[in-house]
Amino acid sequence: MREEHGNVAPVMIAKGEDPGDVRTDVPYQLMTILSNLYPWMSDGKKIAVLTRRCDEKALAEIFKRGYFDRARIVQIGLACSKEQIAACRCSDPVPSTVDIGEPHAGVGSDALSEKLMNMSSEERLRFWIYQFRKCNKCFACTANCPVCFCDECVLEERTFVPERGVPPGMSFHLIRAYHLADKCIECGECERSCPAGIPLLTFRKLVAKDFRDMYKFSPGDDKNVSPLLTTLEGEALEGDECNEC
Amino acid sequence: MNVEHVLTTCPYCGTGCNFFLQVVDDRLIGVVPCKTDEISRGQLCIKGYNAHAFVQHPDRLKTPLVREHGELKQTSWEAALDLLAGEIKRIKEKYGPDSIAFLASAKCTNEENYLFQKLARAAVQTNNVDHCARLCHASTVTGLLYSFGSGAMTNTIPEFENADCIFVTGSNTLEAHPIIGARMLKALDRGAKIIVIDPRDTPLSRLAHIKLSQRPGSDIAWINGMIKVIIDEGLVDQDFVKTRTTDFDKLKDVVKDATPEKVESITGIKPAELAEVARVYAKADRAMIAYAMGVTQHSNGTNIVEALANLAMVTGHIGSESNGLNPLRGQCNVQGSCDSGGLPNLFPGYQRVDDEKARAKFEQAWDVKLPAKPGLTLTCAIKEAAVGKLKAMVIFGENIMMSDPDLGHVEDAIKELELLAVIDIFPTETSKFAHIVLPAACYAEKDGTFTNTDRAVRLIRKAVNPPGDAWPDWKIACELGKRLGAKGFDFSSPAEVMAEMATVTPIYGGIDHDRLDREVLRWPCPSKDHKGTRILHTQKFTKGLGTFAPVDHAPPAETPSDEYPFILTTGRNLFQYHTGTMTRRSSKLEREAPEPYVEMNKGDAKRLGISEGDRVSVSSRRGTINLKARVTERIIPGSIFIPFHYAEAAANRLTNAALDPESKIPEFKVCAADVQKG
Repeated sequence: MREEHGNVAPVMIAKGEDPGDVRTDVPYQLMTILSNLYPWMSDGKKIAVLTRRCDEKALAEIFKRGYFDRARIVQIGLACSKEQIAACRCSDPVPSTVDIGEPHAGVGSDALSEKLMNMSSEERLRFWIYQFRKCNKCFACTANCPVCFCDECVLEERTFVPERGVPPGMSFHLIRAYHLADKCIECGECERSCPAGIPLLTFRKLVAKDFRDMYKFSPGDDKNVSPLLTTLEGEALEGDECNEC
Repeated sequence: MNVEHVLTTCPYCGTGCNFFLQVVDDRLIGVVPCKTDEISRGQLCIKGYNAHAFVQHPDRLKTPLVREHGELKQTSWEAALDLLAGEIKRIKEKYGPDSIAFLASAKCTNEENYLFQKLARAAVQTNNVDHCARLCHASTVTGLLYSFGSGAMTNTIPEFENADCIFVTGSNTLEAHPIIGARMLKALDRGAKIIVIDPRDTPLSRLAHIKLSQRPGSDIAWINGMIKVIIDEGLVDQDFVKTRTTDFDKLKDVVKDATPEKVESITGIKPAELAEVARVYAKADRAMIAYAMGVTQHSNGTNIVEALANLAMVTGHIGSESNGLNPLRGQCNVQGSCDSGGLPNLFPGYQRVDDEKARAKFEQAWDVKLPAKPGLTLTCAIKEAAVGKLKAMVIFGENIMMSDPDLGHVEDAIKELELLAVIDIFPTETSKFAHIVLPAACYAEKDGTFTNTDRAVRLIRKAVNPPGDAWPDWKIACELGKRLGAKGFDFSSPAEVMAEMATVTPIYGGIDHDRLDREVLRWPCPSKDHKGTRILHTQKFTKGLGTFAPVDHAPPAETPSDEYPFILTTGRNLFQYHTGTMTRRSSKLEREAPEPYVEMNKGDAKRLGISEGDRVSVSSRRGTINLKARVTERIIPGSIFIPFHYAEAAANRLTNAALDPESKIPEFKVCAADVQKG
């Protein structure tokens, strides 16, 4: 990221170019931005990208599905600030290699998750119904998500999400939750970009907890673990064949 | 390979969200929200996320076209501009300068609008210049000029978040201004009270604490009813009224007749509910009113705006942080095209053309004699064309054959013109009738500024080249000005145009492109060391004392009859935008709302044997359209709603061109209509 026009902008810098006033403190979702660009970057050149711990996990999910050529990507590890870790309620903030920033410990809990889990299931349902009624169908949660990669999005399929309807209804959010269950890396970009202020990161964290408790599965942790839900349609995984499915 | 992220301003509603256009080798591939932008904070609506989609669409106009033997034929810029200038000169000589009208555009930049009005005034010597603000907030400009002295949002968008009470009427905020709606939702989460008064259910009204439905066309009655409750229950801010306003006695006199029973009989609102709304609004510490077309588009729109101004002043909810009256402007630069003088009675910066001092200033600045007589409004220009008095229209980026009321009449009128020139980015329903069509660059292909609804002047930056031979409108205006033999059209960049505009426009006096590249500036910004103005009317009103206007209820121009028993009201939906020129060419938006529909109440539909999805015909005294029925409980019985985006069933075939006498805004929100199955 770079400071320009009184703002902080994501930038792509060619080799040898002056990077200008570089900033690393604004949480742009660089993996999503790169995913948009990648199909157009057909020159085969290497791409270095600033990588937080969550981005590293996103890359693992991207590599796993063969969307990026692993050999082209160079990771520049960024340790998140304390403030960012608190904002993300992140328990796992330190990338495998820290090139920029001081590593800080993660936080163990998400206050809203705890509050919700202490509610009765009826209260909890009421909470989420209120939250989802604010949805204005901007698709920011999918547009900015680093691990939403389907060519044909089920949320644009009329059978499941009727056209026009605002708010789009509970099924929109439940379908999305299901579709991301085995790949969400809890970067929090959906929550940050949601104009309605729906606590989508908490929603994700609650699903992830169930996956951990029930299946001992966490997305983005190990590049050799197959996606839990995805149909592979005969495509081989990169590296060792998966033994779990 | 060259990858760029170009920061720019959204081309849709008036919120003015900034985002980055993602560009790879002159190809637009996407939109990335700008996280550090004060207004949008890294959030956009679905239109913003798709703002790149139409730009490089194959339908774009790429070469100048001139009609020969009934058909539009490609030609060169030289030939097209020479012909246009020649025709303007010929018509001016034969019929006089006032036989020519220019339409400026709320889709073009401030710099371009400044040039359009300069073209009309300095190059042709007519004040016949207007634009689509006439169709949206003309009554706000006239109403608030009378009440406060300034017709713009009194507060800023971020302040909605900190209000304790947000009072929304005639605005479907979450669909028409989603990122302003987002601020309201933040306030809601914080515990603020949201009140919505609207004949339709909207996504926001469904979340509101109090939602009341009035009969369309009855607004002054319930506003005066509220003011009566506030006076009767001792909730008036006496101090504010005494020190900051005038004519309160006249208001008291007119609202004393607004008894609960009378108000209920006119509006359909129950007395206890209206009283509750009055109390919640009056007692709040920080209360903001937001309104839009539901208030302005009436044949007494100016009076309704003044009634809302009365309500804000009587409670003192104006002139401080999160306290104010906020017209939400609907186009990316409709605020700016008014600021830049795209109005027949006002020079840039709301200086009157019939004020000798103001005129002398512009005559000196432009070195030319200027006409004193205010020009024709857009709506009056159409009427004059129909009777053969207006001979030529030069239209920059407007689609009047979709956006104006009573399209049958508009069509008859423009067919009478000797010259119709349309400058646009796509072929439109209007360009079909043009003699000359010139291809323009869109927002992503040029530099300039848009002024958003909260008066922030925001840069747009060129991200890609225009298609084919298309030119930016400012260049077209300059070349036309030169060919008309006028001085003062030698600009080589929009920044130079803004530099000139700032010298003659006091509210923009301190604004230049260099400053805007670094900071957010809201007008009034009178000098280079001024930081801009967030809140208007803090110590005194722009005009001095705020003026209470003693306005009273009057029925709409057309009321339901046996033949036309329904009230038709028109508006937008979330996914389409205005005449659809851009959004209907954006696949994800078109996918969400691909076809025209009429919303009608379940009970009415049942009575007429109409089910969800049935084809129906809707008629008014002016025309008939065929479309699908959408049966719902979200609109009150007796009213129907049609969005105006769809050319295949254009709602404006039906609407009434009855005008508000002061602002000349048409009554889009009420006309009598009938619905038939099949």
